Amino acid sequence: MTTLDHHATTRPIPNPKKSLITKLNMGTGMVVGIIFALATYYLINPHVDQSVAQEYNRQLLATMFMWSLGFMIGIGAFIGPFRWLIGKDLTDEENLYLAGDGQGIKRYFKYCTDHKVVGIQYLVGVMTMLGVGGTLAMMIRTNLIMPGSKFVSPIIYNSLVGLHGITMIIAMIIVATGPFGNYIMPIMIGAADMAFPRLNALSWWVLFTAIPVLCSAWFLGGIPTGWTAYAPLSVQAGPGMNAFIATIIIFAISTAVAGANITATVVAMRAKGMSWNRVPIFVVGATVSVALAIPAFPTFMVSMIMTGLDRTFATTFFDANFGGSGWLYAHLFWIMGHPEVYVILIPGVAALMEIAPVFVRKPLFSYNAAIMGFAGIAGLSVLVWAHHMYMSGWMPMLNGPFMVTTEMISVPTGLIFLVLLGTLWRGRPWMKLPMLGVYAFLWNMLVGGITGLYLSDVPADNYLHGSMYVTAHFHYTLMGAALTGALAGLAFWFPKMTGRMLNERAGYISFWFVQIGFQILFLGMFIAGAEGQPRRVSDYAKTFATSNMVSTIGAYMIGIGMIVLLWAVVHSWRFGKIAPMNPWGSKTLEWTVPYPVPLVNFDTPPVVTSDFYGYGKAEK
Amino acid sequence: MAPTPGEKLTNFFKRRDVIIASALGVAITALTVIIGGWWYTKWMPTALSTDMKSIERLMVIFTWISAPVCGTVVAITLYTFFNRHKGDTPPEDGPAIRTRGPIVILWSVVSSMLCLVAVVYGLIELNSAEGKAQADAPHAMIVEVTGNQWVWNFHYPAQDVTTDKLMLPINQPVEFRIISADVNHSFWPVQLGVKADANRYQVTLADTTPNKLGTIDVKCAELCGLYHAYMETTGAVTTRADFNNWVTAQGGHTA
Amino acid sequence: MSGTNTTMTAGKRTASAIVGVLLGVAVVGAVGFTLHSASADPQKKLYATKDSATISVDGKSYPKAAVTLGVYPDRQTAIDHGSTANNKKDWVQYGPSTHIVLPAHTYVTMTIHVYDSGEKLNNPYFGRVVGTVGGTMNVDGQDVTSIPADQVQHTFTLHGLPTTSQDPLYVNVPLLRVSTNEKGDFLPTTDAGTKLQGHTVTFSFITGGKGEYVWNCEYPCGDGTYQGFGAVMGSYGYMSGKVSVA
Repeated sequence: MTTLDHHATTRPIPNPKKSLITKLNMGTGMVVGIIFALATYYLINPHVDQSVAQEYNRQLLATMFMWSLGFMIGIGAFIGPFRWLIGKDLTDEENLYLAGDGQGIKRYFKYCTDHKVVGIQYLVGVMTMLGVGGTLAMMIRTNLIMPGSKFVSPIIYNSLVGLHGITMIIAMIIVATGPFGNYIMPIMIGAADMAFPRLNALSWWVLFTAIPVLCSAWFLGGIPTGWTAYAPLSVQAGPGMNAFIATIIIFAISTAVAGANITATVVAMRAKGMSWNRVPIFVVGATVSVALAIPAFPTFMVSMIMTGLDRTFATTFFDANFGGSGWLYAHLFWIMGHPEVYVILIPGVAALMEIAPVFVRKPLFSYNAAIMGFAGIAGLSVLVWAHHMYMSGWMPMLNGPFMVTTEMISVPTGLIFLVLLGTLWRGRPWMKLPMLGVYAFLWNMLVGGITGLYLSDVPADNYLHGSMYVTAHFHYTLMGAALTGALAGLAFWFPKMTGRMLNERAGYISFWFVQIGFQILFLGMFIAGAEGQPRRVSDYAKTFATSNMVSTIGAYMIGIGMIVLLWAVVHSWRFGKIAPMNPWGSKTLEWTVPYPVPLVNFDTPPVVTSDFYGYGKAEK
Repeated sequence: MAPTPGEKLTNFFKRRDVIIASALGVAITALTVIIGGWWYTKWMPTALSTDMKSIERLMVIFTWISAPVCGTVVAITLYTFFNRHKGDTPPEDGPAIRTRGPIVILWSVVSSMLCLVAVVYGLIELNSAEGKAQADAPHAMIVEVTGNQWVWNFHYPAQDVTTDKLMLPINQPVEFRIISADVNHSFWPVQLGVKADANRYQVTLADTTPNKLGTIDVKCAELCGLYHAYMETTGAVTTRADFNNWVTAQGGHTA
Repeated sequence: MSGTNTTMTAGKRTASAIVGVLLGVAVVGAVGFTLHSASADPQKKLYATKDSATISVDGKSYPKAAVTLGVYPDRQTAIDHGSTANNKKDWVQYGPSTHIVLPAHTYVTMTIHVYDSGEKLNNPYFGRVVGTVGGTMNVDGQDVTSIPADQVQHTFTLHGLPTTSQDPLYVNVPLLRVSTNEKGDFLPTTDAGTKLQGHTVTFSFITGGKGEYVWNCEYPCGDGTYQGFGAVMGSYGYMSGKVSVA
C-alpha cells in the first residue's frame, strides 16, 4: 500500500457518473484561463492603439484579470455556488470527492477542499516563491559586488529590486499562515477541517493565478518602482507595472478570503474544552496575524485600483498637476504596509513560541504576556504608518506623535522576548533544528529591534531614511526573525506534514550557512547605510566598495545554505527516515493523529482538559 | 519554614546560573556601551553641521539605551545555549515555571522606562531642531532645490544663481525649499544630516547651518526610475569670501 | 509515492546532496547569465574621432576629438535594441548609438543634428548651456548660452556619480526645436543640404581622467505619460545612454 493512497482501499471512488467536478483540475483551469486571456486580448486589440500607454494598460489589465477569472472557472471554483444557486446543492459524495478523498497525488492539482492538501499546496507555492525571490536577491547582490553596475543594466536592476521585493513580501505573508495555518492549525484546535473548506481552496488557487501574472512583468518591461510602487512613479512606469497592480489585487482577494476563513475556524471550531486561555500560542499568533491582515490589505488593493485608474483612464488620484497627491498613495500604502510587517512577523514568532516549550521541556513562560505582546503589537501597528513619511513633507508636526507610537511598540515586543527568554531560563534546551531557530530569532530580532529604534527617531531618520541601513534593518526583522521562525516551523512540523524526518545534518549545514551569511551580509549593509549609501541604487561611489563586497559574500553564503535546505526538504520528503507519530514529544493535538492524517483528522473529536504546556516537574 | 522575601532574593543571587548569567549580562552591556561609543561615528561621514553632529550623538546614546536589553538577551541566550542538552532523546523536564508575576512587572516597567528615555530624548532633539529653525528663519539664505529625473539643481533667489552644485557659505543658516519637477525624489546632502522629499507642487522645507568646511555629497534617497543611482551631485561648504567669488563667477550678485 | 521505507546509504545521500547543490548553483548561475546577456547593450559603441591637432584652453593644451550624433522623432533605420518588444522604431531617439566613448583629457567637439519638434521643458534650468568650453554652444552658426524653455526640443545632459575614483563631468546642452518633425536616418554627415530641415548644434567640453558617466535627455518626450518621463524616457538606450571616458 502506498502512503498517499491510504484511502483508496477503504472507500469506493464516488461518482461513477463522472460528473463535471471529476474532470476539472489545474490543467483545465490553465486551458480555460489562457482561452479567456487570449480572447480578451484579441477582442480588445482592434479597439486600442498599443502605442498609447493608457489604452495598452487597459488591454493588459483586462487580460490579466480575465486569465485569473478563467482559471478559477476552469478549475471548477464556481461549481458549488452555481449548484447552490439553481437549487441542486452538491451531494455528500461530491463533497467527499472535492475533499480529494482517495485521489492520491492528483488531489494536489485539483480544487481540493481538504485543509491538509491546501497546506501542502501553500508549502510548495511558498518554497517556489522564496526560491525565485532568493535568486533575484543573488542577482541584485552580484550587480552590487563592485561599483560600476557591470552585471546588469539599470533598467533590469530596477526590475530585480521590484520583483525581489514583492515576491518576497507575498511569500513572507503566507510563509507561516499558508502551510502551517492550513495544515497544522485545524488539527491543533481539534477541528475536522477549516470553517469554509471551499473558500480555503479558493484562497490558494486565486493566489496561484497571481504567480504567472507577476512573472509576466519580466516580459512587459519589468517593475521599475520597487515593491512600494510609489505613485506617481508607478503611474509613469511602463506596461510591466500592470502585472504588479493585477497581482496585488488578486493577492488581496486571496488574503481576505484566507483571513476570514482562519479567523472563523479558530473562533467557531475549537475542540470541546479548548477555552481561549488554552488555545496553543501558534493558533493565537496566526489568528492575530490574519485578523490584522483583514483591515490592512484592502487599503493596498484600493491604492492599486487607484493607480490602475490613473494609468488606464487618466484619473488623477496621484497626479499633483491636477490636484492629486503622491502622499495619498503613501498613506494608503503604509496603512497597509506597517501592519503588514507584523502580519509577517507574528506567526513566525508564534511558531517559535510553540517550539520552545517542547524542546526546553518547560511550560511556555507567561502565556498571558505572549498574548499581551501580540495584542499590543497588533494594536499599535495600525497607528505608526506615517513613520515611513517623516521626510515626505506631509505634516511635520505629526512626526512627534508618530515617533511616540512607533517607539511604544518596543514594549510589547519586549514581552515577546520575555516569553522566549523565560521559557529558556533554567532549561536545558534540546538543540534540534527547530530549537536553533529560537536562538537565531532572539539574536536577529534583537539587532532588528534595536536598529528599528534609531529609525523610529525623527532626527536620526533624517540621516538613515532611504539608506541601505533601512534595508538591512527590515531584512533582520523579516528574514532574520520571521523567516527563521517559519523555517523552524517547517523543521518542526515536517514529520507531521510529510510523514518523514527532515535530514538533520543537511539542516544544520544549511542553518549555519544561512545564519552566518546573514550576519555578514547585513553587517556590511548596515555599514554601507551608515556611510551614506542610498537604497535601491544599481551603482554606487567607490567609498562603499568594501561594505558592498562584504555583503555580497554573505549573500552567496545564504544562497548556498538555502539550496542545501531545498535539497534537504526535497530529499527527505522522498527518502527521509519515517517519522514516529510524535517525534519531539509535544503535547499539542496535531501530534496525536497518525500520518497520513485521516480525512476528518480525528476518529473521535478530542476533548481538551488543560492547556498544552504542561511540561516540567513541580518545583521544589 | 518558608524563607523571607529577603532571604529568597539572597538565595537567588547565590545560584550558579544567576551568577554566570548576570556576569555575562554585565560584560555584554559594558561591551555594547564601549562599542556603541565609536561604532556608528566610525562609518558616518564627517559632520558639516550641528544637525549631523546631533545625529551622531543620538546614534551613540540610543546604542547605550539598548545596551542593557542587549546584555540581558544575549546573556540568557548564551548561558542556556552552553547549557544545552545533547543527544537524540528529549532531555528531562525542567522546572514547571508557568510565570513569575514580579519578573513580568519588572520587565515591563524597565522596558517602558528605556522606551520613555528614548522617546523623551527624541522629542527634545526634535523640539530644539524646530526651535532653531524658527529662530534662524528670518536671516536664512534660501536655496530652492529642484529634483528632476535624474538631476538635481539649485536656485539661489537672493543671489540669482542657478547651478548643479550645492555651494554653501559657512555659519550661514540656510533654508532649503525642495520641490520636484516630476516624480518623488528625496534630497539628501549627506554630510549635513538633512533629508527631505521632493514632491510635485508641494514645497518641503528643511534647514541647517553648516559649521565646518568640506565637501557635500548630494544624493537622491527615493527610487525615481531609470537613473536613480546616478541622481547625485556634489557641493561644498566654503568660506564667505569663496562663496561670494563663486556667486560672481556664476553671474549672480552678492548683495 | 512509491517509496515506503526507502532510505539511502550515506554515500549515496552525500552524492545526491552535492549534485543537488551544484544543480541549484547552476540554475541561479543560468538565470544570472541570461540577465547579464539581456543587459548587454546591443548597440555598437560610438567612438569619437581623434584629431592630430591640439588646442589651448586657459593656458593648457589639449588634443582634439570629435563626435557626431543625430536626434530623429521617427527614424527610418532602427538602432538594434535586442529584444523586439523593446525595439520601438517610432520612438524618438539619439543615434547612431547612445553609448559614446571619448578619449581622456581631450577637447571634445560634439555635433548634434536635430530634427524633432518640441513643446516645453519641465524645468527651464535645462534651457541653459552648462559645462561647455566658454559656456556656449553654436546653433546653426550662432553662439548662444541658452534657449527659452518653450523652444527646446531635447537636451543632452551628461552627469555621473561623484566619486573619488573619477573626475567630475557635467554638461547640459539644450537643443533647438524645429517646426515640424522630420523623418530621418542616423547618417548626419549626408544630411547637410538634403531635404531635411533640422538644426545643427555644436559644442565642446574637456574630458577629465578615465571614468564612466551617464547622460539623458531632460526634455519630457515620453508623450502621454506622467510629466512626459515614461515610455521612451524610462527605457534605456533611446534618450539616455552612457559616456565612457577611456
